[in-house]
Amino acid sequence: MNRPESNTKYEKNILRANGLVRVYGGVRALDGLDLEIERDKIHCIIGPNGAGKSTFFKMLMGIEKPTSGKVIFDGKDVTRLPTYARARLGMAIKFQAMQVFQELSVYQNLFIPLRRHYKPRDISGQAKSLLNQLHLEGTEEVTVGDLSHGQQQWLAIGMSLAAEPTLLLLDEPTAGMSQDETRLTSSIIQKLNHDGVTVVVIEHDMEFIRNLNSTTSVLHYGQLFAQGTFSEIEQNDEVRRIYMGTL
Amino acid sequence: MNTSSGSKLDKYLGPLNGPQTMGRRLPFWLGFLVVIALLALAPEYLRRYDIINFSNFLISGFLALSLSLIWGYCGILSLGQAAFFGIGGYAYGIVALNLLNLHGNTDVAFIAGIIVPVIFAAIIGGIMFYARLRGVYIAILMLVVSLLIGMFMRQTADPSYTLGEAYLGGMNGLRPASASAPLLPSLIFGIGDSVIELDGRSVSFYYFVLGLLTITYLGLRCLVNSSYGYILVGCRENPDRTETFGYDVRLIQLSVFCLAAAIAGLSGVLYTAWGTYIHPDGFGVGPNILVVIWVAVGGRKDLGCALIGALVLEWASLRLVSEGEIALLVLGAILVFAMLLAPRGLAITLADYFNKAELLLRARLSTGNGVSRKNEE
Repeated sequence: MNRPESNTKYEKNILRANGLVRVYGGVRALDGLDLEIERDKIHCIIGPNGAGKSTFFKMLMGIEKPTSGKVIFDGKDVTRLPTYARARLGMAIKFQAMQVFQELSVYQNLFIPLRRHYKPRDISGQAKSLLNQLHLEGTEEVTVGDLSHGQQQWLAIGMSLAAEPTLLLLDEPTAGMSQDETRLTSSIIQKLNHDGVTVVVIEHDMEFIRNLNSTTSVLHYGQLFAQGTFSEIEQNDEVRRIYMGTL
Repeated sequence: MNTSSGSKLDKYLGPLNGPQTMGRRLPFWLGFLVVIALLALAPEYLRRYDIINFSNFLISGFLALSLSLIWGYCGILSLGQAAFFGIGGYAYGIVALNLLNLHGNTDVAFIAGIIVPVIFAAIIGGIMFYARLRGVYIAILMLVVSLLIGMFMRQTADPSYTLGEAYLGGMNGLRPASASAPLLPSLIFGIGDSVIELDGRSVSFYYFVLGLLTITYLGLRCLVNSSYGYILVGCRENPDRTETFGYDVRLIQLSVFCLAAAIAGLSGVLYTAWGTYIHPDGFGVGPNILVVIWVAVGGRKDLGCALIGALVLEWASLRLVSEGEIALLVLGAILVFAMLLAPRGLAITLADYFNKAELLLRARLSTGNGVSRKNEE
């Protein structure tokens, strides 16, 4: 895949969040979150419900603007940029709610993001190779609503990939998947990372995160609570306490 | 564009065909040719009076296409689409009254009737879309805008409301400001000294409108089946998601809104030229809602179905009006039942059934052939 050259090749962190605050009414969904994402790595984010994980992703992508704080992507302050401008810089997201175009065919779903980088005559081939990568071969003409839940999740990831990002944000990519599908998803993510995409994953499935075996950040009450390798996090008594022994 | 589902026909009709419009195969295009032929031959078998009315139905068709484009394809419901019709009509009339004696034709007026609504749409649309207004807010805002323009135009009966040779005329509609000014003209196209006049009541005007409508329909078919059309549909299905792919959704919405305003404006120009009058009633609730009804009953997600909705309902209401007031209630009841039975639109639902039946028939025939071939072996 040909990606846009990064602005600052020497910057180790592709993304930095500085003191992000987001207040909804009286609730501080994010409360001064500082987090750095290392380039070309997989980074997992876990935390109890309401810890601010999805809000954090929305801030990163510009779906919502922070009350205060900064988002630095590739050395550039993107805090005030609209979503489409961040996408053009190389960010892509798969939301928690599956966001595929239900009424359209699989091909049309991929056409829309692919068209930003390719001429119409090249799209068919690109779509084919993406579908192979996602284990969705031969589904081009299927209406997305007729795909299985897991297939729709993969397609949603595929659409984000079609935008050819340098940073891919995945909010609960395995929600509702069977064990086999979860394993496949894990291998898809590792392959992507191998191809040079930095991937940030929000997940609840601890087996899945153990399998990815990457830097893991724990969010709690809108702040960074702990960070380390997954085994370090697993051993952390404080983390175990906020999860009430579910680790 | 989409190779695997297309037919041989796609090779010749390429850009006209695609997943964004119904009717891609031979039966549709044959039917299309038959309809065009019937309409083209209409002056041979219809009375002059009917042809005049048919011109008006076809003029409504442009308005239906414009709403189908923004609502059906981009998800922008506007309850004020008739505003652009009215603005186009007034712009045409005002410019024509001022320039006719000077130029001897309405060329500039014709263009002004399309450009002025676009400028207006760019301003109001720019504000709406860049403020990220959505859904019902746009629908209602556009209705209010239309009503406000209508209210203003209604109270322009005072003789001081003149623009050059054009007197706005309040409820009575646009008229010449002085005895020396020309009357509101039909279309007069001229290049140099040669002039073609298309009287609104003439057969040539009917052919002109029919030709323009056909071109507009086919042009829009190409547009919605192009890359731009795919992205429009993305904005309809999920604007937030589409934006995460790097598309500036506001700009896309604004561009299609302006294009629809141009088509609605063209409709207004033709209407003004057809009847040689334009008045403020067109900005009211009724005309605005009527456009939505045509498109909803026909099927908003397909240009052709929306067009059929407008033509059939306009024809039906004219027929029923002559039967007395009770007939309009009957029409209303038909509309309610249509919406209940086929919420996606009557024409779209029928076309769907036809499609399924055809596919089934094809499948039967091909398996039938398979069996006979086997037997031969």
